[in-house]
This record gives sequence, structure tokens and C-alpha cells, in this order.
Amino acid sequence: MHFAAILGCIAMGQALVIMTEEIDLSVGSVYGLTGAAFITLEANLGVFGAMVAGLVLAACIGMVQATAVLKGRVPSMIVTLGGLFAVRGIIYVWTGGTVRSLPEEARAHWLMHLLGGELFGIEAALFWTLLLLAVLSLVLWRTSFGNRLLAEGGDLSTALSQGVRTNQIKTTAFVLCSMLAGFAGILTLADKPQTHVTLGELMELEAIAAAVMGGTLLSGGRGSLLGALLGAFIITSVRYELIRLGAPAAWYISFVGLVLIAAVIFNQTLAKWAGHRA
Amino acid sequence: MQKSEKTPLIEVKDLDLYFGMFHALKNVSVSFNAGELIGLVGDNGAGKTTLIRVLCGIHEPSSGEVYFDGQRVTAFHPKLAIEFGIETIQQAVGLCDNLSIARNFYLGREPVKSLLGLRIFDFALMRAKARHVIGEFGLRDNVSADDEVETLSGGERQSVKIGRAVEFKNRVVIMDEPTNHLSVREREHLNDLALQLRDQGLLVIYITHDIFQVHKLADRIVIMENGEKIEVTTTDAMSAEALEDVIRQGGRAVPKKVAVQ
Repeated sequence: MHFAAILGCIAMGQALVIMTEEIDLSVGSVYGLTGAAFITLEANLGVFGAMVAGLVLAACIGMVQATAVLKGRVPSMIVTLGGLFAVRGIIYVWTGGTVRSLPEEARAHWLMHLLGGELFGIEAALFWTLLLLAVLSLVLWRTSFGNRLLAEGGDLSTALSQGVRTNQIKTTAFVLCSMLAGFAGILTLADKPQTHVTLGELMELEAIAAAVMGGTLLSGGRGSLLGALLGAFIITSVRYELIRLGAPAAWYISFVGLVLIAAVIFNQTLAKWAGHRA
Repeated sequence: MQKSEKTPLIEVKDLDLYFGMFHALKNVSVSFNAGELIGLVGDNGAGKTTLIRVLCGIHEPSSGEVYFDGQRVTAFHPKLAIEFGIETIQQAVGLCDNLSIARNFYLGREPVKSLLGLRIFDFALMRAKARHVIGEFGLRDNVSADDEVETLSGGERQSVKIGRAVEFKNRVVIMDEPTNHLSVREREHLNDLALQLRDQGLLVIYITHDIFQVHKLADRIVIMENGEKIEVTTTDAMSAEALEDVIRQGGRAVPKKVAVQ
């Protein structure tokens, strides 16, 4: 449940970026870096300060990548692939490859209970993710920003011709995606308060798989945040099911890959059936 | 500048536009008045679309002046053109397939109301207006405001775009080959709408390859070739056949005595 909520949080951000017809491969690294930043900065800034600093850091990474994509006119696939490696490298350098953990007094902070505790036996992370789902869905389907984001993903030149500031919208989507990944990193640490250099490796692929399984079309303009969250639940439940069945852990990655391909084929077939030009 | 009867709605003076080394528009000067239907014709690559892209803010001219309603235009962006009331209707652009008619209608200028401090859509208003346009502009009766644009025919799409141009009280409607791929009946419907817009006092600029069709519709015709304006004529002064000859042979065939400025 906890992992599904975390993955769902990242997948929703990913779905937003995919709906603008871009992709963000760096979310796994941003997730890890924000976690590392949160733990490292906690000593100086306190829990709340470290959380804000971590989110600001994530937002900056999103901003830099969006600028490279939009001003540098480099495909987002390339920019965020670079981001994936570069940010992971920063984690290695910053932590020196060591395992860091939060001191006891920080774990007792009220914010950590709010983010990592339980309510009615259910992890807080799930409530946070559901809250984010509600807010982001409202923004996507009921605000000008959401309308313009969907329009941009569906037909960029039309959005431009109607006076939409398309670069602003895309930049916001990238920043939101990075911040959601960062927030997921903090949620993770609130629950298991130690970080490792490999935290979040391959998570970008799981997030993309979850978003695509949830019905977000890679061609942009169509998708669902609820679907992304459900996709995260499917991936996670299969992971634990495979482990319970005694399958070697390595099979899990193969499964995600196969399901991703199957989901894309299924999406396209379904879209064709519904009469959309996918 | 004093606004008078004589002030053209759009005036272009000595306009040059370069794309890198390519000289796309060469010293173009032309003026358009409100309540006029202008036919803009010329071969492919003549600069017709480039000229209107300047007018709707997509390209910034390299040199020259553009006046709107007597005011010098100094900044070029599609958003500004929309604020001036210039609406462009193109075959391929203008509506997003993946959005409903209501959402498309207000794209870029969505009406919002405040809910708990969050500015969300006024969906009731959006639907009502979209329904009104569906009824007024000849779409099928069973089309709903929530239908995605993808389900509309080519003619219905053009009708929605024209409906939008009218509902937002535009002053200029630029139609870039609006009747391509339309059926005969849809084409006639669209041309009727173009004339209605003109009669309501709007400036309509109509780009097409169909000389005979535009000759019937337009008040004045502007002929372009190789990025230059080679001729401006009224439809009374030049027959459609003569017009076609001019385009076929380039500026050489212009009979000087019928040329009017």
C-alpha cells in the first residue's frame, strides 16, 4: 500500500507531463535526490525547513530541464535522460555512497507523523496521494490551466493560435512532476527514515508504466490521473504477488516491461475502437 | 492618429520579412477596411499565408510598419492579435480534436468563477454558449456541447470556428483556404457565413486557390507572387478569367488600365 501510494504520486506527475506530449525520465533520480537532501539538510534546517528545501530543489531541477527542452529545443527524452544520470551522480557525490538516516528526535517531529504515520491502520502516504489526486484532477479538468495543458498535448499549433502561452504550461507541468517526485521521496523517508544511493532507481520506468497502464496516451492530450494511480496499484500488487509466489525478484522488472508494452498496444486498440486518432 | 472614415482597419507599410537568408515578404504595402471581403490569391509560396501570419502575430516583420485601426502595432504575439479581435480560421488549426466543443470554444480565454478561492471553469456558461453556436451555425441537431471535436465533420469544424469568431465580437476574420475538403453544400454554407460576417461590418480576408469562387465573394482581390504584392483590384474591374491569367503568368500579364489601388 505504502509503495503503491508513493509510486502513484510519481505516476500522476508523469501523467501530467505525458499529456503535454513530453516525457520525464528523471523522476526516479529526483525522488532519490530529494530524499537525500531532506535527510542531509535536516541537521541544519530542521524537518520543516528540509522538506521545503527538498521540494524547492526538485522544482529547480524540473525548471532547468523544462528550459533545456523548450529553449534548447532538445527532445525531453534526451534532456531528462541526461537528468536521470546527472541527478543520480549528484546523489553519489553528495552522500559519498553512504547510508544516511534521520536522527531519533527528527523522527519524533509532528510533521513526520503527519507524513509517515497511520490513520485507521492505513499509511498516511495513501491519504496524501489521494488528496493530491483530488486537487490535481480538479486543476486538470476544471481550470484554465488544465484545459490549456490538454489542448497543448492534443494540438500544439492550435493551442498557440488561440494565444495559449504553451511554454509556460509545459514548464509548469515539468516543475509539478519533479515536485511530486520529490514529495514522494519525502513521504518515503517519513516512513522508512534512511536513504540509500540507489533510492528510486528504475522508478521512472515504473511511473511511466503506471501512467500508460492507467490510460495516458503517449501521443499526448488524453489521460487520467486516477488511472495513473490505479496503474501504480496494479504494478505494486503484482510485485508483491510475485514475491509471495516465490518468483525470483528479477522477474518483476521483466513483468513491468511486458505489461508496459501490452498496455500501450491495448491503449491504442482501445483508442481506435473509441474512434480516436491515437 | 485621428480615427476617421478613411482610416483602414489594417494597414501594412513596406513590410519585409526574412527567414534567415530567405526573403519571404518583399516590401509589401496594403490596406484593408472594415466591412470588406478581401480575396487574397496567388500561387503556392507567394507569401499569402506568411502575410496573414504577421497579421495574427505568429511572425514578427523584419522591417516595415503595421497599423491596426490607426494605431502602430509594435509587439507581435498570437495573444495580442486575439486581443485586437483578429481571428484566424485555418483548415488544420484552431480546434483540438481531444477536447469537447465547449472546451475548445473558450480555449485561451476560459470563463472562471471562484470556488473556495480556486478559479474554476464556469461550465454552465461554456456549455450554453457552445450549444447556442451549435444551433446557430448549422451543426447537426444531435451534436452536444460535450462532444469531442473529433466527432465533427470538416464543415462543422469550420462552422464552430466561425461561430467563435462571431461570438467573441471579433473585428477581423482571416480565412486560410477555409473550403478545402468541404462538400459542395458545406462550402456554400461557409461562403454564406463569410458574407454575413462582412455585412456585419467585419473585415474578412479570404485566402484561396479557387479564383472563381473568391471572385464571386470578394469586394477586392489582392494578388501576391514570390513574396510581393503584385496587384490589387476590385472584382468589378477584372474578370475571374483575367485574374487567373495574372496568377498563371505572374505580374507580367497585369493589364495596367484596370489596376486600381
